Amino acid sequence: MQFEVDMRAPEVERIIGTDHSLEVIADNVTFSEGPVWDPRTRQFYYTDICGDTIWRWKPGVGCEVVLQPSAHANGMCFDREGRLLVAGWGGRTVFRFEKDWSVVTLASHYQGKKLNSPNDIVVRSDGQIYFTDSPGGMLNVGMVGDDLQKYLDIQGVFRITAQGKLILVTDDFVYPNGLCFSPDEKLLYVNCSRERLIRVYDVNADGSVAKGRLFYQYTNTDRGNPDGIKCDVEGNVYCTGPGGIWLHDKQGNVLARLKVPGHPTNFGFGDDDWRSIFVTTVGNVVRTRVNVPGVPGW
Amino acid sequence: MTWSFDCVAGPYKGITGGVAWNGEWILFSAVQEERILRYDPATGAVDDFRRYTGRTNGIATAASGEVFGAQEGGRRVIHFKADGSTAPTCDLLDGKHHNQPTDIIVDKQGRVWFTDPHNPVAPYGPPVYPFLEHGSVLRLQRGPNGAWTLNRITADTKEPRALLLSADEKNLFVGEGNAEMGGRCQLRAYALDANGTAGACKVLYEFGEGERGIEGMALDSEGHVIACGGWKKSGSGPAIFVFAPTGELLESHGAPFDLPMRCAFGGRDMVTLFVTSGDGRLYRCDAGGRRGVSRSAGAA
Repeated sequence: MQFEVDMRAPEVERIIGTDHSLEVIADNVTFSEGPVWDPRTRQFYYTDICGDTIWRWKPGVGCEVVLQPSAHANGMCFDREGRLLVAGWGGRTVFRFEKDWSVVTLASHYQGKKLNSPNDIVVRSDGQIYFTDSPGGMLNVGMVGDDLQKYLDIQGVFRITAQGKLILVTDDFVYPNGLCFSPDEKLLYVNCSRERLIRVYDVNADGSVAKGRLFYQYTNTDRGNPDGIKCDVEGNVYCTGPGGIWLHDKQGNVLARLKVPGHPTNFGFGDDDWRSIFVTTVGNVVRTRVNVPGVPGW
Repeated sequence: MTWSFDCVAGPYKGITGGVAWNGEWILFSAVQEERILRYDPATGAVDDFRRYTGRTNGIATAASGEVFGAQEGGRRVIHFKADGSTAPTCDLLDGKHHNQPTDIIVDKQGRVWFTDPHNPVAPYGPPVYPFLEHGSVLRLQRGPNGAWTLNRITADTKEPRALLLSADEKNLFVGEGNAEMGGRCQLRAYALDANGTAGACKVLYEFGEGERGIEGMALDSEGHVIACGGWKKSGSGPAIFVFAPTGELLESHGAPFDLPMRCAFGGRDMVTLFVTSGDGRLYRCDAGGRRGVSRSAGAA
């Protein structure tokens, strides 16, 4: 299977290469998300929100259930100790798998009120956990848990400190979704699915952020909204958007659009050289190869 | 006798929709604002009953005091619990996600009936699940373990908008058809057997080509069907109709606002009719001395 690339800037082949083939690595999903590569065990983890399952896939071996039901879990990442962190979406918590795969809740309430539905999650090198808290896990068909009431008046981006304290990073968003750091962690990118934009924030030493600025506003009318977002080691920004995955340079200029079929929801870099991109879609998980590696995960 | 309508709340953004009396307050939906408000007929005060309702339209109050909502934005019926939380019910009909519920009632047994038409406004979230090819009246029922199951009641409706049970619950009235989507509109009745299974459809009243049919209904103490319908665009205009249970159109009261939406009797004596509207308001009217029937708590 191949995918098309359009909106090409002249230099983009250097970044994404010329072979735009896709390998299907899983088709056992209704709505896949949470793509994350575990460099320790060389396994790829993903969620099926609608299928209510967390999966892992080992090259040459296949898929295996990690957690089912999963409270319609959404985004995932590893912390620096190699523990899997989960944005719990329908279950309205952020939780962590311990080394023995028991589950510990890290956040469930802010200022005494239940969180909305944690959507995507990322870890900074100092161990702080950042996540977005959009409202979709209380509303979307086939993705909700047992309490659909929204209590908070904000859709926050939060961080959990090393001491376990939950702190609001920003409440600028209508529907904060994907988030990632620049390779040097001086910038935090957060996208909004509803306003169809990416904002970027200067990150302070303590992990708080300065006032955000617009990085890119999508105006293309193709189906698809900002959802997953990741940087490569050069600081280029990949973001799912209308009609596929968009690639931007550090200034926000569009370098290309990777028209991965099947409505991409998110993606993650992986394999030993971090030059594979695993794309989760509505219906399957696919893998392609690029030239410039992604920012390695923990 | 002319009915006069007084605005008692609003305007809100978009339409007001579902309306129900819970024995104490009139609850009504500001659908686009994603709020359910409550109006106290004794004091005239209006405040929030619930926020962040996910575009809930229809509201039903049960004799137990429970409140249910038809959540158009989430394609499900939800239960607004007394502790402030909101529980889902069952949104799968034979394993498939149903459409976008709009009107809702609860019967004496606590079963929740709703109309499940298609809606021009897309629901929340990515379009993973297709809509049903039919639009039907569906009914939720709680099992001994508290789990909900969902059954289809009508097999011949396409875009049912409104529903009402007769006082003895042996007759189901359905406002069928959506003129905005180009459909012909009817008032229908289905005889219900002891299990609540619907018999053959009886068309009680047929609206003309292009006429907007019935969006909401209430029952009066004599068994009449009080129905909101019509629009300025065509036909005889926006109105509150009074139908005999046999379907004879007894009265038609022109409304001074467009798109009458839904209605419910309320207040201490149940002699005031509350009407929601396309202009985002809540109206009250004396309804010519007619008295309502309510199954809600506190309403004898």
